[in-house]
Formats: sequence, C-alpha cells, structure tokens
Amino acid sequence: MIAGRYFDGRSAAGVDASLNFGADGKVHLHGAVIPIAFPLAEVQVSERVGNITRRITLPNGGVFETHDNDAVDQALELAGIQRGSALVHWLESRWHIAVASLAAVVLVSVAFVHWGVPAVANWAADVMPANVDRSIGAGTLDVLDRVAFRPSDLPNERQQELRKRFIDMTQPLDDGHEYQLEFRHGGLIGANAFALPSGIIVMTDELVELSRRDDELVSVLAHEVGHVRGRHALRQMLQAAGISTLAFALLGDVSSISGVLAAAPALLQAKYSRDFEREADSFAKLWLREHGIAESNFDAILCRMSATDGKVQDEDNFDFFASHPSTTERVRCTKEADAEKDGAAAEVEASTASPTD
Amino acid sequence: MNENPYEPASPAAPAPAPSQPRVLLPFEFRGSGSEYFRIWIVNLLLTIVTLGIYSAWAKVRRLRYFYGNTFVDGQSFDYHGQPLAILKGRLIVVAGYVVFIIASKMFPIGAGLIAILLAFFGVPWIIMRSRKFQLRMTSYRNLRFNFDGTFGGAMSAFIGWYFLAVLTLGILFPVWVRKRVQYSLDNASYGNQNFSFLTGNGTYYKFCLITFFLGLAVYLGVFLTLLGLPGMREVMFPGEGSATGVEIMATAGLMGAVLVIGGIIALLGIAGYYQASFANAAFGGIMAGSQFVRSNLRAWPLIGIYVTNLFAIIFTLGLYYPWAKVRQLRYQLDNTAIDSDGNLAAFTAASGEGIDAVGEEVGDFFDVDFGI
Repeated sequence: MIAGRYFDGRSAAGVDASLNFGADGKVHLHGAVIPIAFPLAEVQVSERVGNITRRITLPNGGVFETHDNDAVDQALELAGIQRGSALVHWLESRWHIAVASLAAVVLVSVAFVHWGVPAVANWAADVMPANVDRSIGAGTLDVLDRVAFRPSDLPNERQQELRKRFIDMTQPLDDGHEYQLEFRHGGLIGANAFALPSGIIVMTDELVELSRRDDELVSVLAHEVGHVRGRHALRQMLQAAGISTLAFALLGDVSSISGVLAAAPALLQAKYSRDFEREADSFAKLWLREHGIAESNFDAILCRMSATDGKVQDEDNFDFFASHPSTTERVRCTKEADAEKDGAAAEVEASTASPTD
Repeated sequence: MNENPYEPASPAAPAPAPSQPRVLLPFEFRGSGSEYFRIWIVNLLLTIVTLGIYSAWAKVRRLRYFYGNTFVDGQSFDYHGQPLAILKGRLIVVAGYVVFIIASKMFPIGAGLIAILLAFFGVPWIIMRSRKFQLRMTSYRNLRFNFDGTFGGAMSAFIGWYFLAVLTLGILFPVWVRKRVQYSLDNASYGNQNFSFLTGNGTYYKFCLITFFLGLAVYLGVFLTLLGLPGMREVMFPGEGSATGVEIMATAGLMGAVLVIGGIIALLGIAGYYQASFANAAFGGIMAGSQFVRSNLRAWPLIGIYVTNLFAIIFTLGLYYPWAKVRQLRYQLDNTAIDSDGNLAAFTAASGEGIDAVGEEVGDFFDVDFGI
C-alpha cells in the first residue's frame, strides 16, 4: 500500500488515499468515495525527478499523488515495468556519475573551444563577403592617430619605395581586400607594424629604422597581409560570439550573472590571438619562400624587435594572457641561428641586388 | 543606495469575508542545490552527446524538478510539457529561421520587410502562445492553470503601449511595464477561477522612477570618476590637455577596469532593486477569488544573493550554478505567500478542457518567462 492523496480532477479538494499494484494486473485505489481499480496499462506513472511528488494519472482523470517515490519504483519493478526514464533518474542520483559527467562536459567544452569555435568561425567568415571586414575597422586608424601616433618623419621617397614593393606584393593576391600601406611615427608603440581589417597596414618609422634590409620589412608586411587575408579580425569577432553562446548554453539564465557571461570571450581572446599570429607567420614564410626571399629575414627582424622591446622575456613561463606566441617559439634567436641567418641574408642580398642596400 | 528598498505589496485592500478568518499560506521550496547539481550536469552531458536534441527532455526534467519542489498548503505544482511537442516546436522555429536566412539572401528587401512585420506582429503572438503553453502545462491539485489572453490584447500591451511610451519620451514607460504584466496575469486562470491583477500604476511609477534615478546616479558617478583620472580629458577632448602618452595609456586601462567593476556593481544593485519591486508588484497583485498572493521580496537580501552567487560562480568556474539557481528561487518563494480564506480546496475545474496544440510549442521555444 502506497499512501498519498487523491484528486479527482473536478475540484481542488483532495482526499487521503492509498494505492496498490495488485497481483491481478490492476491498480487499486482506496480512500475515494468508492474503491476503484484500473488496468495497469491504462495508468500513467510520472517520471521520477529527484524526489518530487509522484503523480499517478488514472484513466478517469483523477490523480493519485504520493511522496513515497521508492514504494512506487518498487511496485513498478514488481509489476515488470521497465522504463528508459528510470535510467536517467538512476544517473541523476549518483555522485560518481555526476563527477564523471562533469569531467566529460569539461572535456567537450575544451575541445569545442579549441577546435569547434575556430572551425565554425572560419566557415562563417568564408560565407561573408570581403566588404564586411572593411566595416569592422572603419575609424580605427583615426582613433590611433589621435591617441598614439604622430605623422611619419620618413622621407617621401623612402615611403614611395616601400609602397611600391608593397603594391608588387599585394596586387597579385587579388583576394577582394583593398591593401594600403601607411607610415606613422610610433612613439610609445615603438618598432612595430599592424594590420587593420580594412586592409590598411601601418608601419612605424621606428621599424623602418630598425631594419637592415628591405626584405626584412617585406617579411613583416607579408605577416600583416596574412592577418588581413586570413580575416583574423572578423574571425576573432565570430569566435567571441561562439564563446558567448557556449557560456550561455552551459550556465543559462541566472539573472545575476548574465552580465558577466558577456565577458567570457575576453578570457579566451588571448589564446585565439596567438593562434592567429601563428597563422600569419606561416603565411608570411610561405610567401617568402615562393618569392625567393630568405625566411631568415623574418626571423632577424623579429629577434631584433623583441631585443629592443627593452623587457627581458621569460621564455620558460607560458603566459596564458599573452597575445603573441613567445619569440623563441616563432623563430630561433640563438647565436647559431644568427650566424646562419647572416650567411643566408648575405646570399640573398647578393642575388637580389636591391638598389637600396 | 536607497534608504528603504522594501517595496510593500500594495494591491487594492482585499475585502476579507467577515465570517472566515484569514490564513497566510507560505510558498516553500523543498529542492536542494546538490540534488539539482546532479540533475543539471547529467542532463547537460546528455544534451551535448545528442547534439542538443535531448535538451527538450532536459527542459522538462528541469521544470518538473522546480515545479514539483514548489509547495503551498502541503501540495506541490507539476509541469506537464511533453518533450516531443517541445522538440517539434523548436524544429519548426529552427526551420523557419533557416528559410528566412536563405530568403534574405535571395530577396534582401522582402526579407527585411518580413523581419519588421515579424517583430511587430510575431513577437506579441509568440508571447501569447508561450503564456498559454506555460500556464496550461502547469497543474496544482490536479487542476490546470489556463490563459485566455487574445492576440489583440498582446498587440495593445506589448506594441501599442510601447509606442505610447516612446512618443511620450518615456513618461508612460511604467504604464507599459504594468500593461505587460496585466496582460499576463489578468488573463490567467486556475480551474474555472479567473485571476485579477490589482496592482495600480502608482506602484509601477514609484519603482520605475527610483530605478531610473539609481541608474542615473551610477552613470554620473562612473562618468565623474573617469573625468577625474589624469589624461582623461586628453582622450575626450584631444589637444586640450597636457597628458603624456603614458598617462593616456594608463587611463585607458583604468577606464576599462572602472567601467567593468562599476558596471557589474551597478547592474547587480539596480537589478536587485528592480527585480524585487517587479516581483512584488506582479505576483503581489494576483487575486483569485478570495485568495490573494502576497510578495514581500526585499532589495538588499536579493542584491546579496546576486553578488554572492556571482562570485561563487566565478570562483568555481560555473560549478556553483545549480546552487545559485536554487538559492535565488528559494528566497523568492520564502517571501511569497497566499493570503487565503483557508479554503484552497474550493477551486473547481473549468469545463471543456481541451488542449489546442498547434503553435503552443512554438511559443515555448522563446520561453519568455517573467519573474521566477
């Protein structure tokens, strides 16, 4: 006998009642005005979730409610009724299953962040036309000019010279992006170059001064072109959207944290940024190889840039929040490599006979 | 913040039947965070493994857990949504979305027009259907709740009053907030007993105005703090200040920190006050026959729950989520009660309870809950 309450479905008034699963294949209810019995097959037993009130719906529209979930489960088992939902409750009520599920969810989430989000963003970016990129970075250079840069001090002829090489580089690409090279005095930013999604690539005077050969500057430009061509700004935005979606899917709607979930993408931005740097590096190296320029040019200028950065890079420590891979990972700055590079660079210089050197 | 965040439930004074003594029947939540954690994580994994298909089943189990642990007068609520119906509704919505995306590629202008029409007519329709689905799928003592709000009513409450609020530059905004709640509650019923919504415009004006001024104060506070930072003037009015580049860069970083931290505190504080006031005004305004719902949420405890939940979730990398959800719900239910004539058994079923299924599940997809 399972104790509970019976509600006939016509009024909210309930009566204390009891119910049993008879050996005759019928469910017997006692306590209603008259005892009633129904064939087991016509009775619906609600699924067990936690320890919520169990609802046994009878074909006459009445409902028997009980808190004695275990008794109902035993009766169902005795009656030989097996259900898939019982399995879910079994899973939900065991701590070791919960811990294993947690581990699996974490693994899947990490895999999603590592491979899934970039893959989906890449696919989505491919579908979007190139003019989307132009709208992302519009106005960025104005802000930078106001806050960080001064006009370039480079002589006009020198600028034209480099622009010509840049045009020679970008014209054959024909990938829908409008490439443009700009020079600025970097000031605090120092020797550097970067790409805006619109195709504008900014190079600082300091970088030009730091270089020993134009091929070094060309290799940096190739890296920046790699960013534009790879549509890294757009993909960065799409990946941020993907991470937000994941965070909301996992943590849903606790009203107090929805504002903070919006910040979740920021935590992973650095990781994705390093991935993009590696991608731009490999584009640059491929391009250099195809155009007969020694890759060592790229290594050389990168090593010199990190040396003049002024800060001692602790290369053994992996910094999760670093936006770039460590220089040692990207290139080999050992003395041995330097020696090799100098040799290779000398060869290249000799063979290309660049007029500026 | 404000001196007295306590927002009393202030429906029109109830008229108790003189013969019967009134009793206060408190709501109670009997679930626990650790139990819900196991349900949550197992269902999350099943949802991921089935590429989201199981989410319909997970949703039903989650809602049944919360409804089934909500007790008043010794009896619990139950949720009757069917996973397959919910899945069907979701598939319809996803299919419609895909069709729309393809159509917008082929006919950009036509699709844009359709999007605008959908926003105007589709949103109220969806709200109507989803209210109907939510209430019809809810039972208590084997009687169903119901909702008979019309499409016209939803158009008026959600769109008509929205435009009036905009046209009056926000003066009618609190009325719009109230109209939406009124639409949801005035049209609800339990058994054959219709609900009435009693909270007046005054209550809505009061807490909307306080919220507005709190928001304004926070906004001004953040703005003035930023102005006080060295180099800030340089960023805002280039060429006027004398800050160096280093100062400007430092300011940009500080600005980010101030905006983020200030933003979160402001969000939680104002959200706590608004949510408490909103729930009190909405639930506290329900009358069903001679039963009145009382809602006495207070802002400070709610803000405390928001803040501690937030930090606990951050420091446990999200693991605290199930406990957070249970805590929030428990606070709300602990402070809600039915002011009753002691006779909840007197409700009777409505006649002809047929369920017209088409479209209800579609509304469910958007799941526009309010309050709880």
